[in-house]
Amino acid sequence: MRIAVCLKQVPDPATVEVDPLTAALDTRRLLYIASPADTAALEVALQLAGAEGHVSALCVGPPAADAVLRLALAAGATEARRLWTPFLPLQAPAQTALLLAAWLQRGEAPDLVLCGTRSSDQGSGQLPALLAEFLEWPVVCDVTQITLEGDLARVQRRLDRGAREELEVRLPAVLAVEAGIARLRHASLTGLMRAERAAIPVSELDDLGLEPADLAFPAATTRMVTPPRPRTRPIFTPDSTRPAHERITQIITAGVTRKSGKVLEGPPDQMAEVVVEFLRERGFV
Amino acid sequence: MAFLSKEASLALVQRVHRLIGIKNGSTPHGAPQPRRQRSAPRPGAEHFDVIVVGAGPAGSAAALVAARAGLKVLLLERGEYPGSKNVSGAAFYGSAILNELIPNWWEQAPVERYLTRRVLAFMTAETSVAIDFRTTRFAEPPYNGFSILRPKFDRWFADQAVAAGAFLLNAAVVDEVLWEDDQVVGVRVRRDEGDLRADVVIACDGANSFLAKNAGLQREFHAHEMSLGVKEVLELDEGAIRERFHLHDNDGLAIEYIGAITEEVSGGGFLYTNRDSLSLGVIGQISSLAEHRRRPYELLETFKRHPSVAPLVRGGRVREYSAHVIPEAGWNMLPKLYTGGMLVAGDAAALCFVAGLYLEGINYAIQSGMAAGEAAVAAHQERDFSARSLARYVERLRARHVLTDFASYRHAPGLVNSPRLQNLYPELIAAGAEQVFRVNGGPKRKLLPIALDTLRRANISPVHVLQDAWQAGRSFGW
Ligand SMILES: Cc1cc2nc3c(=O)[nH]c(=O)nc-3n(C[C@H](O)[C@H](O)[C@H](O)COP(=O)(O)OP(=O)(O)OC[C@H]3O[C@@H](n4cnc5c(N)ncnc54)[C@H](O)[C@@H]3O)c2cc1C
Repeated sequence: MRIAVCLKQVPDPATVEVDPLTAALDTRRLLYIASPADTAALEVALQLAGAEGHVSALCVGPPAADAVLRLALAAGATEARRLWTPFLPLQAPAQTALLLAAWLQRGEAPDLVLCGTRSSDQGSGQLPALLAEFLEWPVVCDVTQITLEGDLARVQRRLDRGAREELEVRLPAVLAVEAGIARLRHASLTGLMRAERAAIPVSELDDLGLEPADLAFPAATTRMVTPPRPRTRPIFTPDSTRPAHERITQIITAGVTRKSGKVLEGPPDQMAEVVVEFLRERGFV
Repeated sequence: MAFLSKEASLALVQRVHRLIGIKNGSTPHGAPQPRRQRSAPRPGAEHFDVIVVGAGPAGSAAALVAARAGLKVLLLERGEYPGSKNVSGAAFYGSAILNELIPNWWEQAPVERYLTRRVLAFMTAETSVAIDFRTTRFAEPPYNGFSILRPKFDRWFADQAVAAGAFLLNAAVVDEVLWEDDQVVGVRVRRDEGDLRADVVIACDGANSFLAKNAGLQREFHAHEMSLGVKEVLELDEGAIRERFHLHDNDGLAIEYIGAITEEVSGGGFLYTNRDSLSLGVIGQISSLAEHRRRPYELLETFKRHPSVAPLVRGGRVREYSAHVIPEAGWNMLPKLYTGGMLVAGDAAALCFVAGLYLEGINYAIQSGMAAGEAAVAAHQERDFSARSLARYVERLRARHVLTDFASYRHAPGLVNSPRLQNLYPELIAAGAEQVFRVNGGPKRKLLPIALDTLRRANISPVHVLQDAWQAGRSFGW
């Protein structure tokens, strides 16, 4: 069994600080980790491959991203490779997928590609589908369980509201797993030392048979949207005209009162007046 | 050593010999350690010439020295990277020492500011009296001291050891020292297949060293021998720092505070300027924190609200907060510094100098790390790793003035933590100064009557004052 795992290096959320005035990230303080869904994919790959299997770890990123590949080697990945080009735009799921596909199509293709469903930083969740498209392989996202039977993968996938879907996929395929379905094993000391000593090979555009022009995706545009500020909510203060015990109850329930209704009776024009008065009182009209 | 007579220094050297490392299993207090279960390394464990445990300043210095001599060195660090576990801001006074190891080190290292101004402030709740020292002579290479941020500095320093050929392994916690007969022959890391062999293990694992205790070289400590330091890094605009602290460019200051800031708890406070942040903190003796039921961070808040501190820290944004223990009792806490196949250096050997106006650990850590590295190299040249061979570590420490400093200041910790020095004298100084400066239409009095009057009001006998003066002289003067 040959499995390739795609890993992404992301900022450790514990080190992310946002300037309250400019909303800019303080990048000097960031430390990086492997995206949690990707480490889950790595653990699943190591389990599926077993002792005889072959797991190769791939990462598209700058030299500092070697750290996530060393993590994979320490845990037991057979080999690691970093793909990189300085021409890569900042948010580039299509370009990233293209580099990965280009590498996977050279030499001996794996039986299975595993990755995380979405990264913990940008989390667009586009990469698995784009990668499968370039490879012309089937893809399943939001995977929570995988069992292999020959060249068939039985896959469970998470749907909304707790529902699950079971599928069969013929290999080779791209399977994108959810974060938290597996916890990456603790590396042995021997593994850790081996990983620290390993030289991580790098492939750039030339080695992948690509050109900078291939990375131009005219269809891809990113639009920044700033949502409007949410309306400020007044802080609840109890009605001072009420007796003490009622005010206390109001405070305890934080002003949340049960839904109550009132049925009006009478001639329509009078009822309309009461309704309008009601709305005016509460500031709706 | 300059102030010691020849006889006195000889006596000192003998004391060093008696106290450390001559008899097996004895500690400075003479309490023998219970013999622990000893394990041997599993077969097939990888071998190194030297394994250094802990990539703090002591460990990186030791690894650097040993690696430069061509030895196969492994530097083990439990954190994600060197410095990740270290309390952040600090004043580093070992510039000249490090310069010996890495010439012009400040040109490449992540330093914040060179310290040209040092202030010693005596505080009461409302008043402060300070001695303010400033010299341009500390603004010239090799400089006297720098403010540094430990996560950056420690990482850089460990990288120097790596550049010299040491192999650094992060995320590796050492759980145990491994033995064959009476010789340390390796360590066990908390991972599968975690055994490693080495001819020499150098324990640089910091205060309250687990390794030194595990190897039976150190006793358990008393609460009055340890302090707890809590520290904050406050981000502040570079321009504001220059103006507030009257700095020109990249020069900086270090303030040491004694007195009311730690209230009834024995301890002190400090504040250092970084490039665009301040490091500040308080240090409290653990026993007196417990006795007065005070939490260290409460003291830090009290400190920051003090009228002479508040305007200095105003507007600062907290970037880091951390706490760490400090070995305080100096000389009385020194462990047995070596045994067959093993050396102890830095805070692990309690080589941290804490006495009122001094808070120096990093410089002694580097010095003792260098001495340990040199001893390991010499042992390799003779292929003799016995306790007798490693005893030369003590000689190196003495040659570097480390042990002599700790011996000559051995009375300081007791004095500094005494209640009179902690609270009464700062009060007296402040009250006296207030009388000197206050103008209220009464007669202007001379200094001696003011002093005597202040003493009388504080209800303290001149005999005590003389006793303390003698103690202070013995601790700091001669
Ligand atoms: C609040 C505070 C303020 C201070 N301010 C100053 C100052 O301004 N100037 C100054 O000179 N000194 C100062 N000190 C003292 C100084 O921090 C220490 O003396 C110095 O760090 C000692 O260096 P070291 O290398 O011996 O130990 P450390 O710096 O403590 O390094 C020990 C290293 O060992 C690692 N380690 C520990 N156990 C294990 C294990 N089992 N396995 C693997 N790795 C392990 C740790 O992660 C750490 O990286 C201060 C201390 C405190 C607490």
